Amino acid sequence: MDPLAAIRETFFQECEEQLAELESGLLAMEGGDQDPETINAVFRAVHSIKGGAGAFSLEALIRFAHVFETALDEMRSGRLAPSNDVLKSMLRAADVLADLVRAAHAGDEAEHPGAATLAEELRTMSGAAGAEDESEEDWGDFEFQPMAVAVEGAEAPAAAPAGFKVAFKPRADLYAKANEAALLLRELTRLGHAEVELDAHDVPPLNEIDPEAAYLSWTVTLTGDADETSIREVFEFVDGDCELEVTPLGGSAESEGGEPAFDLSSLLARVQGDAPAEAAPEAPVEAFEPVAPPPPAPVVAPVVAAAPPPAAPPAAANETAAEGQAAGGPRKTEAGATIRVDLDRVDRLIDLVGELVINQAVLAQRVMEAGLARASAVAMGLDELEQLTREIQDSVMAIRAQPVKSVFQRMPRLVREVAAMTGKPVRLVTEGEGTEVDKTVIERLADPLTHMIRNAIDHGLENPEKRAAAGKPAEGVVKLSAAHRSGRIVIEVSDDGGGINRERVKGIAIEKGLISAEATLSDEEIDNLIFMPGFSTAAEVSDISGRGVGMDVVRRSIQALGGRITISSRPGKGSTFTMSLPLTLAVLDGMVVSVNNQTLVAPITAIVETLQPKAEDVHSLGGHARVISIRGGFVPLIDVGMALGYRNEPLPATQGVALLIEGEGGARAALLCDAIQGQRQVVIKSLEANYRQVPGVAAATILGDGRVALILDIDTIVTVSRGDMRKAG
Amino acid sequence: MNQIISQNGQNQAGGMKELISFRIGAQEFCVDIMAIREIRGWTAATALPQSPSFVKGVINLRGAVLPIVDLASRLGFESTEASDRNVIIVAQIGEQVVGLLVDAVSDILTVTDDVIQPTPDVASETAKSFIRGLIAMDGRMISLIGLDRVLPDMELEAA
Repeated sequence: MDPLAAIRETFFQECEEQLAELESGLLAMEGGDQDPETINAVFRAVHSIKGGAGAFSLEALIRFAHVFETALDEMRSGRLAPSNDVLKSMLRAADVLADLVRAAHAGDEAEHPGAATLAEELRTMSGAAGAEDESEEDWGDFEFQPMAVAVEGAEAPAAAPAGFKVAFKPRADLYAKANEAALLLRELTRLGHAEVELDAHDVPPLNEIDPEAAYLSWTVTLTGDADETSIREVFEFVDGDCELEVTPLGGSAESEGGEPAFDLSSLLARVQGDAPAEAAPEAPVEAFEPVAPPPPAPVVAPVVAAAPPPAAPPAAANETAAEGQAAGGPRKTEAGATIRVDLDRVDRLIDLVGELVINQAVLAQRVMEAGLARASAVAMGLDELEQLTREIQDSVMAIRAQPVKSVFQRMPRLVREVAAMTGKPVRLVTEGEGTEVDKTVIERLADPLTHMIRNAIDHGLENPEKRAAAGKPAEGVVKLSAAHRSGRIVIEVSDDGGGINRERVKGIAIEKGLISAEATLSDEEIDNLIFMPGFSTAAEVSDISGRGVGMDVVRRSIQALGGRITISSRPGKGSTFTMSLPLTLAVLDGMVVSVNNQTLVAPITAIVETLQPKAEDVHSLGGHARVISIRGGFVPLIDVGMALGYRNEPLPATQGVALLIEGEGGARAALLCDAIQGQRQVVIKSLEANYRQVPGVAAATILGDGRVALILDIDTIVTVSRGDMRKAG
Repeated sequence: MNQIISQNGQNQAGGMKELISFRIGAQEFCVDIMAIREIRGWTAATALPQSPSFVKGVINLRGAVLPIVDLASRLGFESTEASDRNVIIVAQIGEQVVGLLVDAVSDILTVTDDVIQPTPDVASETAKSFIRGLIAMDGRMISLIGLDRVLPDMELEAA
């Protein structure tokens, strides 16, 4: 990637962070947060996006961000009250801004449909609040008074060429934000013929110099066609961090020439303690040399870029240099010290650690085989090595762990949109945003969560009239929570709506032929019908949740992550969907079994219990089909060796061990294996990377002896064994 | 001869090509050396259920799961009863890495493109899909194998 593209990519990554900050800030304010720091954070987020967008000339983004920022500034200064309506508009503006950022990222130049109207709305808001402020050029941070530019310039002597005198005095802040005076001056020289004059009057003796302060100022005499606006544009992004004065040439003449320029030798002399500091005036520097910056600048700028000013709060140290440039000030202190790392590198590291664990196990096995005593120095050293490798593995896995916040924070917008479409007022409550889980899990959670929240609002919540009739507040509540529970992450989506209408669900299931009319089903079983493929309760397919994907798709995507989803519903009180997911996709707790001399691994999460089948419990249903009775119920007994094609004759049930498993949708089956070897945590290896998917096999792993073992895909084995008869029915 | 060069596609540095030759039974074959990652001894493979007969299974190659293709069986000969004397040629085919089970690796050949003769028109589909050309050398015939078809067709057999 070329450097500019890389910077651009970083900018968009940061935009996402800023957008998240913006939204959470606005939501906090909507929730009654009065802290001025919140509005400041919101303002800074928009300001930074605008600043970055300016650097990449993303016009549509700049325009909208500017209007948005102006409105926020009105709010910040207290002229615009943060009423609920105002905040709602702001939140919509944040959505539009997010769309614009994404469009810009994709290089999409198309006009955003909502941007213009919303910009108008914002303009009206800020206009109504501060009628005196009509200037389009108010960039929020102005600290100097715009000059009343009289047309005196035009009356200047004909001999004097058209042009401006630009007095530019950077403040320390300018450098602290990693801006560079030399670059600004170079930019200025592009506008016409420029004579740059340095004023080093304020430079103190070397021993008194504060490396982070700004002492220099410049006067640029610019001749050419440039107008004042374009000159001011050069300094657009250092607004407020410098003193800038633009006067037309030939106007009031002041401080011509006779100012002393920077004189290093006299400065040195001063340090040495003699010679009064009276430097001789020098001729203005002819045509500013862009490559060589003015002397102290290289000292100041790199120092600032590398290390934050000591005066700044410690949090500033956490900002990358790029952020420092874009952000309008120190960010909230809660941001931890972070670095950006390519995901591929982390994955490579995880792979390597996985191999280390395997190698360590192989080594341990060899040592055992060699007949060394457990108490021998070698064996004890190996034990320590094992502990270390486990710790390394845990720490490496933790690198991939991220708070679920990144997916949770996409939901408020969704809720707003769906609420607007359905006309149901909805409040989203989130809990446990800081709960950490593997990045891949997070990424793949977004779609199912989106779908479930849509469903909760569209189908779960009643309309306001019904709610009123039921004595509930008009505003429905959708709750999204995450928590760690016994080595897994549990995510719940609940609503306080009407709950599942079991009569209707059953009716539909019968109508669609999913169950027979005579079937007696428990409440729980009825609730679970909504996960059946081809089930959709919406009487008319709505725009929101009726997109051809049902809850069965949600369940499948959760299962693909090694998770489970369950529903509990109380009529009139609401429904709760509970998803339980593994914390990582890289390791799995497995039951190691042998089948026909092959070693296989069954995921422990699916196993309910293991049992030794007794002859009297196993019944044949003809052919190879067998069932086993477990505490009065019958479940199919599946010979794993047969299902995988390892053998053609079923193993006599009494010679094996059965794993009672619960697969898709709670269907139970007993898997017959030859023997159980033990329980082990295994590193999941892809079979598809070098080969392809194999039916009945979820993935592979490498065991302690260095050999590959296959991880069973229990659901496929059950489905395949069920044969076509059940599939058709 | 120009025709042959264009058929063979790549014209490496002045038409010179390095090939690695190996034996399966009495026959000699070769593949482009650029596709070969390493050569290693046979280790027992874990059988894969519901796989074509020419897929011997998978082995652990330093943490990666590597499928082993019995090249003899793939080319339509008797399948190999693998033992310690057999050799696995680890080859890169597109994005995937595959182990090819052969009897022995014999030589590295440096040939120019014009030495490679086109495959005569024979009826065998197997020959047509794998053999890219024939090389006559010291009275022996060495078949140049294209590796892109060695793994089973994903689209056709994926469940």
